[in-house]
Amino acid sequence: MKKMIIAGLIALSPGVVMAANIGNCGWGAKVFDGQSGVAPQVFAATTNGTSGNQTFGISSGTSGCTQDGTVTSTWKTAMFIDGNKKQLARDMSQGQGETLDALASLIGIDQAQKSKFFHLTQEKFTSIFYSEDASAADISNALKTVMSSDSELAVYAANI
Amino acid sequence: MLRHYWFCIILLCCSNSTTAATADYLQDLVKQSGVMELAQRPEWRALLHYKDNLLFPGFTSEVDGAGFFNAPDGKTNPQAELAATLAAFFNPPIAETDEVQHPQCMFVARYYWLKQELNFDPRRLPEQPCPRFSQWMTTLNPGGVTLIFPAAFLNNPASMFGHTLLRIDARDQDEKTRLLAYTVSYAAATTEKNGLAFAIKGIFGGYRGYFSILPYYIKVNQYSDLESRDIWEYQLNLNEHEIDQLLRHVWELRLTYFDYFFFDENCAYHLLSLLEVARPEIKLTENFRFWAIPSETVRYVTENSGMLKNVVYRPALSTRLMDRLQKMDPQYYDLALDFVDGNLQPTDEAFLRLPENDRANLLEFSSEYIEYRQAVDKRTLNGYGDRAFELLQARSQMSADAAPDIIKVPDIRPDTGHKSGRASLGVGYQEDAFAEFAWRPAYHDLLDPAGGYVPGSQIKFFSVRARDYDDQRDLRLEELMFLDIESLSPRDKFFKPHSWKVKAGVVRKNLPHEHSLLAGLVNAGTGLDYRLDEKNSVYTFLEASLEYTGEYQKNYALGLGPTFGLLSHIKPDWDAHLYTTMQRYGLGEQRTDYNLVLEQRYSLDDNDALRLSIARSREFTVYRTETMLSWQRYF
Repeated sequence: MKKMIIAGLIALSPGVVMAANIGNCGWGAKVFDGQSGVAPQVFAATTNGTSGNQTFGISSGTSGCTQDGTVTSTWKTAMFIDGNKKQLARDMSQGQGETLDALASLIGIDQAQKSKFFHLTQEKFTSIFYSEDASAADISNALKTVMSSDSELAVYAANI
Repeated sequence: MLRHYWFCIILLCCSNSTTAATADYLQDLVKQSGVMELAQRPEWRALLHYKDNLLFPGFTSEVDGAGFFNAPDGKTNPQAELAATLAAFFNPPIAETDEVQHPQCMFVARYYWLKQELNFDPRRLPEQPCPRFSQWMTTLNPGGVTLIFPAAFLNNPASMFGHTLLRIDARDQDEKTRLLAYTVSYAAATTEKNGLAFAIKGIFGGYRGYFSILPYYIKVNQYSDLESRDIWEYQLNLNEHEIDQLLRHVWELRLTYFDYFFFDENCAYHLLSLLEVARPEIKLTENFRFWAIPSETVRYVTENSGMLKNVVYRPALSTRLMDRLQKMDPQYYDLALDFVDGNLQPTDEAFLRLPENDRANLLEFSSEYIEYRQAVDKRTLNGYGDRAFELLQARSQMSADAAPDIIKVPDIRPDTGHKSGRASLGVGYQEDAFAEFAWRPAYHDLLDPAGGYVPGSQIKFFSVRARDYDDQRDLRLEELMFLDIESLSPRDKFFKPHSWKVKAGVVRKNLPHEHSLLAGLVNAGTGLDYRLDEKNSVYTFLEASLEYTGEYQKNYALGLGPTFGLLSHIKPDWDAHLYTTMQRYGLGEQRTDYNLVLEQRYSLDDNDALRLSIARSREFTVYRTETMLSWQRYF
């Protein structure tokens, strides 16, 4: 029951809750934190182990931002940005790349307008990534603003 | 807890509401399934993970979570499980919640298959809606399945043992947006940080293994960017029905577990079992019941299953960086390093003088190289992030096209390299003629053909050598190595790995006066490796050895000394390895041993090779010369 209330709140006000929530369900915390040194690597790898980065099993029902293991649609874009900050910064600075392509299709940008989107993110790189440690929420809000002020891409801003 | 809870609900519901008509229909279905021998069918066996018992007749399911079975003896009784499953399908409708599902939804793959085989009459066995499952399938939108194999880490041959996972390719994705796909993988659930404890517990089934679902971009980040592992993607030709049934089964497996065994019931093995559910007529797991090396399971799928459609290579960040370095004018190397170290700013005159394309390329390379360094070497983080960010900012102000990221796909893939088992038969001379027999179940050594493996890497498990000398009657054990790992990683301006080696086992020591004994040995070393040119590299190690035997003074000998070596890929099918080692045993049984060895391998075909070795050694003050020619077969 509690979970449902929380889920309801999230659905009502994604923009507000996102910054707080991303900390709980973002991927950043889950990604491999790298065991240093040779020995742990050897054993972990020899034994095709998991090194603690896996979610154990597929969570049942709604949990954080996932529904039975898949990311709920409200969080898809935020989670993707959270899990790909470095890759997105790289791609946007070059105005091309696989991660940026995937983001474009996540936002639903038409194939024909993708290159316009790529170009815009490169041009506005400094506005979108205004600091090295910008959070996923910062980035996605900034991206939204940048897109809103573009005549052609403004229609997609709501999808972020 | 939850599982028990809903299990009780089923029992309650069953007893209360089973009317006479449904009881009759259930009986019909059970009878019909018996006539059709459905419980013996490969589909049912695959869905319930039944395997033939090894010693006694009968079956046991590999699933260890109790909630997976409907019958109390479901783990060992396919027939009873089938009847109980049918009975559960008759449960009255329930409102699905996060915790509770109708058995038709909980066991949706079984339901689907049985419905097909037995032609369920929806009036007498009403079909229940499964909103969560339907939503899940809509989200996954499956259009294809790809087997994913991350190759070995750089400088970590042990990871050649590897991992495999499945990627569920959505219909609305293409090759450019595959990052958005989901993956299904199977892994041991543990937060154990102690590698040794992890290994030991894992070997004996001390952990539970669960299936999990994660977006592919998380996996790509992990393998490609953080661990420097190239990824091989094997697209499979499963059709829509096969893919759907596979996912229905993943849904069934979400909440249950298997005891995890590193060597046999591991990730690779269980992924094969998923593919068996998709295509039950293909026998995959039975070939790997005792020993499932992930790369060998990939080879089996690509060679024997007829499932392979296409292969895609996804080079790791480090591979892309090395490729860029090769294409870059070497005069820019120092500029790139100056960026990295903060000695050069994108606004400096020295940089702005360069042609625009070269500037863009340098900024791209330097920022990605910083990313790489952050991933591999956490200790040098200070200021790196800011610097990379400055470079990216500068890059975003330039309109030059990005340097094309086209990397040649290696000719030999991990699944087309030599097979990992090897048996050898040799003849040689060392004061007397001898025959040598050697066997190595896995995996690769420095002189094996490198295609499909990481160059300069060696990992051997349980390799054994025995000899039969002319003047003796018995076959004599020369060496039994439980584990033997060696990693030669070349150093240059940008990549500065330490090479390393470690091995443990039992070796024969030759003492004066034709006496010999077996000693336990642990040996480890660290060193440096440099590439001279495309074909040749030199290396050096400082290594230590500890030998243990009751016949030594104080029962042990502890030695230390250097090794120097030269590895040469003379031709694709001909490699040579020249090395010399000195060990000064200063503690315990004291002495100084040397050896000088030249080994060569010549490949006859994909599965056969000849090896010639010539060695001169001094052990316990006795000098010996040994030559041996052997024939090796990979299997």
